[in-house]
Amino acid sequence: MLEIKELTRRFGESTAVDHVSFEVRPGEMTGFVGANGAGKTTTMRMVMGVLGIDGGEVLWQDRSITRLDRRTFGYMPEERGLYPKQPILDQLVYVAQLKGLGRVAARRQVQELLERFGLGGRAKDHLEKLSLGNQQRVQIIASVLPKPAALILDEPFSGLDPLAVDSMVDLLREHARDDIPVLFSSHQLDLVERLCDRLVVLAHGRRVAAGTVSELRDAGVPRFRLVLGGDAGWVRDQRGLGVLDLDGPTALVEVQHDGAEQHLIAEAARRGDVHEFVRVRPALSEIYREATA
Amino acid sequence: MSTRTTDPAWLLVTRREVVSRITDKSFLIGTVLMVTMLVGFIGFTAWQDEKTDEVTLGATPDSVAMATAVADGASEVGDKVDVTLVELDDEAAAEQALEEDEVDAWLHPVADGWELTSESSEQESLTAVVEAVVRQQVLTENAADAGTTVEELEAGSAVSTAFLRGDAEKAAVAQAVGFVFVFLFYIAALIFGMQLASSVIEEKQSRIVEIIAAAIPLRHLLAGKVLGNTALAMIQLLVYLAVGLVGLSFTPYKSYVPALSGPTAWFVGFFLAGFIALACLWAVAGSLASRTEDLQATSTPLTMLMLAMFFGGVSLDGRGQVIASFVPPVSAVVMPKRILAGGVEWWEPLVALGLLAVFAAVTVWVGERLYRRALLQTGGRVSLRQAWSAAE
Repeated sequence: MLEIKELTRRFGESTAVDHVSFEVRPGEMTGFVGANGAGKTTTMRMVMGVLGIDGGEVLWQDRSITRLDRRTFGYMPEERGLYPKQPILDQLVYVAQLKGLGRVAARRQVQELLERFGLGGRAKDHLEKLSLGNQQRVQIIASVLPKPAALILDEPFSGLDPLAVDSMVDLLREHARDDIPVLFSSHQLDLVERLCDRLVVLAHGRRVAAGTVSELRDAGVPRFRLVLGGDAGWVRDQRGLGVLDLDGPTALVEVQHDGAEQHLIAEAARRGDVHEFVRVRPALSEIYREATA
Repeated sequence: MSTRTTDPAWLLVTRREVVSRITDKSFLIGTVLMVTMLVGFIGFTAWQDEKTDEVTLGATPDSVAMATAVADGASEVGDKVDVTLVELDDEAAAEQALEEDEVDAWLHPVADGWELTSESSEQESLTAVVEAVVRQQVLTENAADAGTTVEELEAGSAVSTAFLRGDAEKAAVAQAVGFVFVFLFYIAALIFGMQLASSVIEEKQSRIVEIIAAAIPLRHLLAGKVLGNTALAMIQLLVYLAVGLVGLSFTPYKSYVPALSGPTAWFVGFFLAGFIALACLWAVAGSLASRTEDLQATSTPLTMLMLAMFFGGVSLDGRGQVIASFVPPVSAVVMPKRILAGGVEWWEPLVALGLLAVFAAVTVWVGERLYRRALLQTGGRVSLRQAWSAAE
């Protein structure tokens, strides 16, 4: 397990990352969301040891992380990070070798991955000759070489077309299934919601929310929607409830005192037909907007 | 995993630097071009020196005697001029022979001496020979008329040259080879330095440096880059020197080759230490920039230093040269020049090389710190002070 504890980084006067803590569990995909400048990239760079840490620590398997641990991590920097004017096969083999793989094994693995991403025929092409989507694929290959112990990916989906997103998703899922921790940042909330087991939300350098998607959606004050046979105006007079919206037979309420919703449903049944009574969970985007506001 | 190797990271980086450069067309073309130019230049010099000018000199009856003297005396006066005498009947025949290119020039007496008539361009070697022989002949005649000899007239007028150290030709050769040394160092340090700096920027700009930094210590990256470029520069230098020395042995200067070998070996040593010292600084210049456009600004102090080294190497002499031959990094070019000129105590190159090596060690240490701290800073140029004091 990868644990981030009270991580802090200052640039001059401003604090880019302020006592941020969360964990990335093996076998789970953890989404890292937040506005531009919220501190996601800075956090990831500190985790990878590319940027110095001003306070706090990073733990790997319950001990302080070392350079050798990081060497086994797959990392994808925010902007594309490979040599534009070098054949893709050569530079991927180079990266794999830097991570400690032998030359022959590196070549074999790179070729396998290139085949898999449909780039087998372009091994000798310079990176800059490839389309943006293909460049991103090469970038991903670089980060999963050799079999990583953890994946730290900064905006892996940016610039990908839907098909490329799907193959990227498959690849990440496959690694997560191998019981390794996967942390990735993204702006695409729908994607994060679809993919992630867990979510960490950052705003202005602070962690403002963390947990599984359902935990987050359940975390706020519970809300219920009630649809009656007749007018729902009487709901206003119920105690322990706040009315958020009222429209003819439909009411949206939030529960201010535990159990108030039970009184509400009993009262509604006493007064006539109840067509619908349902718990309303906010969409991830709403939580995100509230958390980062 | 059994396939993991123990290849140290710096070696992997070195290998990549070398391989990606020697498979680069512009590098290969540049090297081949330089070698071709070198061979061509030496070949031309040798040919120029070996060839004999064959010229034909026309003579009318009034000048046959003098022209014969010229043809006979040619080999003594100028080297490598072979004069063939063609006898012509009169002036008209002479002009026709000139127009039809049967003779290169026509020698004939005029009121105040002799005239050498050519069609339109003069044959310099022939003119020189004719001038010398005619002058000698006329002087001899005039001296006889005055009742004396040329020797008596010229007695005591000779000025000979002497050198306390070596001889004139040797000094000239030393001067020329010294210039070549300075030039080679300047060009190599500038070209490879720029290349090194821009490859550092390329890595920084494309952010691959983050992937590398996560995998290996940055110290290894710097070491690999410096060593790779040094190896390339050395290989190129050795090729040039070998071609130069071998080529020289085909020219009339071949007798100097053994004497040049020692100083050349010293030069290689000084080149190595000087290049490493500067290479680290070039890497720093690259790491301070964040875009290629910034390199101009971050490398200005270095290009200034290179220019100072070049002009210092070329123009310093006397006491200034002696002092500069111990001051790194200028000593890298000045000391080999002094060794070439001769008269250097045995310990002097050793001390200079030692000082240069110490200087290189300092730039490596300082450079490593600056490079490591500036490399991962993003957004705009980094000042030296920022880089030095930046937290990692």
